[in-house]
Amino acid sequence: MIHLENINKTYYGAQPLHVLKGISLDINEGEFVSIMGASGSGKSTLLNILGILDNYDSGLYTLAGVPIKDLSESKAAVYRNKMIGFIFQSFNLIGFKTAVENVELPLYYQGVSKRKRHNLAMEYLDRLGLKDWWHHYPNELSGGQRQRVAIARALITQPQIILADEPTGALDSKTSVEVMQLLKSLNADEHITIVVVTHESGVANETNKIIHIKDGIIGNIEENLDHNSSPFGINGMMK
Amino acid sequence: MNDILSEIWATARNNKLRTILTGFAVAWGIFMLITLLGAGNGLINGISQQTEGRFNNTMVVYGGTTSKPYNGLKEGRYIRLKNSDIDITSSEFDGIIDEVGAMLYTSTVTISNGQHYISTWIAGVGSNHNKINKVEILAGRFINNIDIAQQRKVLLISNKQAQELNPDGDYKSLLGKWVKVNAFAFRIVGIFKDDENGRADAFSSYSTIQTIFGRGDDAGRIEFTFHGLPDEESNEAFEDVYRARINANHQAAPDDRSSIWLWNRFTDNLQMQSGMDIIRTFLWIVGLFTLLSGIVGVGNIMLITVKERTREFGIRKAIGARPWSILKMIIIESVIITTFFGYIGMVLGVVATEVMDKQFGHSEYDMGWGSESIFVNPSVDIATCIEATIVLILAGTIAGLIPSIKAARIRPINALNG
Repeated sequence: MIHLENINKTYYGAQPLHVLKGISLDINEGEFVSIMGASGSGKSTLLNILGILDNYDSGLYTLAGVPIKDLSESKAAVYRNKMIGFIFQSFNLIGFKTAVENVELPLYYQGVSKRKRHNLAMEYLDRLGLKDWWHHYPNELSGGQRQRVAIARALITQPQIILADEPTGALDSKTSVEVMQLLKSLNADEHITIVVVTHESGVANETNKIIHIKDGIIGNIEENLDHNSSPFGINGMMK
Repeated sequence: MNDILSEIWATARNNKLRTILTGFAVAWGIFMLITLLGAGNGLINGISQQTEGRFNNTMVVYGGTTSKPYNGLKEGRYIRLKNSDIDITSSEFDGIIDEVGAMLYTSTVTISNGQHYISTWIAGVGSNHNKINKVEILAGRFINNIDIAQQRKVLLISNKQAQELNPDGDYKSLLGKWVKVNAFAFRIVGIFKDDENGRADAFSSYSTIQTIFGRGDDAGRIEFTFHGLPDEESNEAFEDVYRARINANHQAAPDDRSSIWLWNRFTDNLQMQSGMDIIRTFLWIVGLFTLLSGIVGVGNIMLITVKERTREFGIRKAIGARPWSILKMIIIESVIITTFFGYIGMVLGVVATEVMDKQFGHSEYDMGWGSESIFVNPSVDIATCIEATIVLILAGTIAGLIPSIKAARIRPINALNG
């Protein structure tokens, strides 16, 4: 599904910052993977490159067989829309749109008719237990509810891959567990490939494979099918 | 399109202050432009109305007072135009002067019809007076050659005078009636339209007036039409030649400019036109600068809008918005908001000119010899209004386009972090 070969990325500021130093990585279809590292390790940059939100300097990246390199913004937008669902730490919902309007938005950019995308968005909200909250604005929802709206928005285009950047970063421990359970069941029941970036070992422990990244280089890759790699995360304790 | 509209409605509703400020800048710009141009047009219309009753290619010659001693005669002599001046005018300037007439005014006379009477002047004129001045006959006829030849006691009065002389009935019923002019019986042969401006006098036959009220050889004033003098220089050159010739007939210095007065309506009009052009240009400059402030307002607010919404654009791009769809959204939003408020400004501006029209449009100012409106029909034609609105929309959009393009092109990750 995801194939990375020797990806390099440098930020050119006052001090050039070599963030990713030759990342090579394969993530297969249906995997539930976390990328774990301290802040500044380059994990978010990696996720942004995976999500075609940012470009990389050298290397090779193919997503579902499509080479992702030097795409025009329009083309990148289409790929993001069709192939990738995003979940952000800060939810990134549009404040002046209701829950259902936020969920509809990716379909709006696909040119789906209003009625059809509304029905579909309602369906997804229903699946995430937010049916009664469809007409609420993000600031009228709790953090967990907001993140579930964001997940519904990520799912509605039926992407091949879900990219989650610290999905529990702004949530309390109880809702964090709920959100991780949700991602888990999406992976288990619908075989959606999910990549989670986190610095919390408890969150990483919920995933099936943990990729450790440090100073822009991939460290060890842990198979974690029995979910006991961290003292946190056992019995659903994450924080 | 429906989707875009509801998007715009949502953003406008959620950014009330910004929307209102933009709208105010636009509406104010258009409003000021229209009010200004309307007021200017009112002034210009008022001026043009005063000249409406004239043919442009005419001159009127009045007697004056000499300012130089000449040929043994002292300065300060009063020059009275004579019949021979009329002959000179009509015979010696072939090729330039066409119709020549003369006007001789009575002193104040009383015209009475039974118990109703009016006080006015009567101008004795030739049969061609209505070819030199605009006289609109409402009933009857103008002075003809037989009136002149036979010195008939004929009279033309204005519809207003007729109304005063016959307040109870239709003014046209006075036609053919005999009225008294001081002690003489005159027959009303025509009724002409009062031109609303300046003095409205009664007309009679030149020869009749000269005989009854005249002072010997006094010709009154000479009036004539001319052609072939296209610009100010040629007019001035002709005036010099003409003045020298008439001066010679009165033994005044050929270059004495005050012995006779020439009222050249052609150059008069030229000067008025250039004066109006200056007013018009000035108004447009001020108007365009007002519009410019509106444009700057729109551009400024567009800039802030785009900055404020960078994160939102980032989100939209992350979930699949193409740069063009972002750009399209900003542009359509700006166009719709400026159009909407531009329209409001336009309507308010038109209302303001209407109010001006009601307040000042019909007020007449007593100029001593008659009354004049100096402010007539202050309005701006609808095409100008729409053009101004379109200019504002286009300029506002272009002003907002640069930051919009930047925002549309920005990498989503920068927008999300920004």
